[in-house]
Amino acid sequence: MSETELCDVETSGESGGWEPLILTFCCYWCAYTGADLAGTSRLQYPTNIRILRVQCTGMVHPNLVIEALTKGADGVLMLGCHPGDCHYLEGNLRARSRADAISLMLEDFGLEPERFRLEWVSASEGPRFAQVVTEMVEQVKKLGPSPYRT
Amino acid sequence: MAARLAEEWFAICGGCEVTILDIGEPLLDLLEKVQIVHMPVLMDHKLFGQTGEKTEMEIPEADVGLISGGIRSDEHKRLAQEMRKKCKTLIALGSCACYGGVPALGNLYSTEELLTKVYRESVSTDKNGFPCEEVPILTDRVYAVGEVVKVDMSLPGCPTTPEMVAGALTALLEGRPFPLSTKSVCDECPTIREKKAVSTLKRRLDAVEFTPGAPLNQMRCLMEQGFLCNGPATRSGCGGSEGTPRCIRAYMPCEGCFGPLSEKANPMVDMMGALSSIGLDPKQIPDRAATFNRFSGAGRLRPAPKR
Repeated sequence: MSETELCDVETSGESGGWEPLILTFCCYWCAYTGADLAGTSRLQYPTNIRILRVQCTGMVHPNLVIEALTKGADGVLMLGCHPGDCHYLEGNLRARSRADAISLMLEDFGLEPERFRLEWVSASEGPRFAQVVTEMVEQVKKLGPSPYRT
Repeated sequence: MAARLAEEWFAICGGCEVTILDIGEPLLDLLEKVQIVHMPVLMDHKLFGQTGEKTEMEIPEADVGLISGGIRSDEHKRLAQEMRKKCKTLIALGSCACYGGVPALGNLYSTEELLTKVYRESVSTDKNGFPCEEVPILTDRVYAVGEVVKVDMSLPGCPTTPEMVAGALTALLEGRPFPLSTKSVCDECPTIREKKAVSTLKRRLDAVEFTPGAPLNQMRCLMEQGFLCNGPATRSGCGGSEGTPRCIRAYMPCEGCFGPLSEKANPMVDMMGALSSIGLDPKQIPDRAATFNRFSGAGRLRPAPKR
């Protein structure tokens, strides 16, 4: 997603105050279907997330997460299949080992490691999807706007 | 008529100037085609006029301008702007001018912290005030020349290679473009890659495994041997026409002196991503920011936030 696109979808609260923008990478096989289930089940969760469907969390390179955070996203959420359930066998395990590297690097970019979170959401876990999103939005709200936001 | 050449050096060790001298025989042919009008390391040409009669720094008009070193002080900044004004073509010579180089490791700290450490907190130093009279003010961080003025050509490397300097100057005098390689050091590295993941890192002091006298294409990739090698995220070209990267020729892992593959790339993110993908615990990597951005700190390294 380019810089301008990210700015275009910027949210502002009803009161006109700051609302966090959280980019969410959902894997096609589990988390995206889980998000779909949350929607069809009419579950309530904050509207601060922007979902990007990816084939597997294992294809999300740290570059993409860092770029999102340094170009205006206040947080990045990465949701994939539970370990052992990956459609591509070990894509989510790769994502997990990269997640450690991402958390470490965020400090080098002057960002709080809590702005990034990796979670497992299966296709049947609609309520869990809503819960993870709610938690993440609350956490980022506590942290405040990203220093890279202009 | 000979082309007029001006050269200026900023935050640098002087190694890139030695590289010019190191061109060897081709330098004799090159010198016939250029007339050096300003070069502090070589000739006594004063910035404020020979007797100090001028009030503004002045550099003579030139066709080609070479700048080595990153921008660390207000003086450097003004000189860079003056060079841009007076030179038709401006070349950033060496990694310091292109990406900040080793001096830009200072960007991991604020200027204030650096001054405090050097003039007050260092054990062997009497506590003194910061120098403030008759010295240029330091900038808030080290800048690459390209961040301050427009640069027409970049010649990275620490130091850059004689072949590259000669090639670029010749190309420029003949009106040809001089594009940099877009490949990575790994693309030009002849060592054997078996794509087996590393689990533990070796220290630089550990011995590299190789058979003395055997050609390099019989040596195992240094990364696979467990040494941190910056090859995957570094621009190739250091090997010149021979191809094989310089450090690899000396059985050493790549230090990353040719800088990132593109202007926007961040070698630290690339390397951390690549290493964690092959199963290496990222916490094992010591001092990641400085290790992977050792030569490209301008605009990439920043002081750690205060908690």
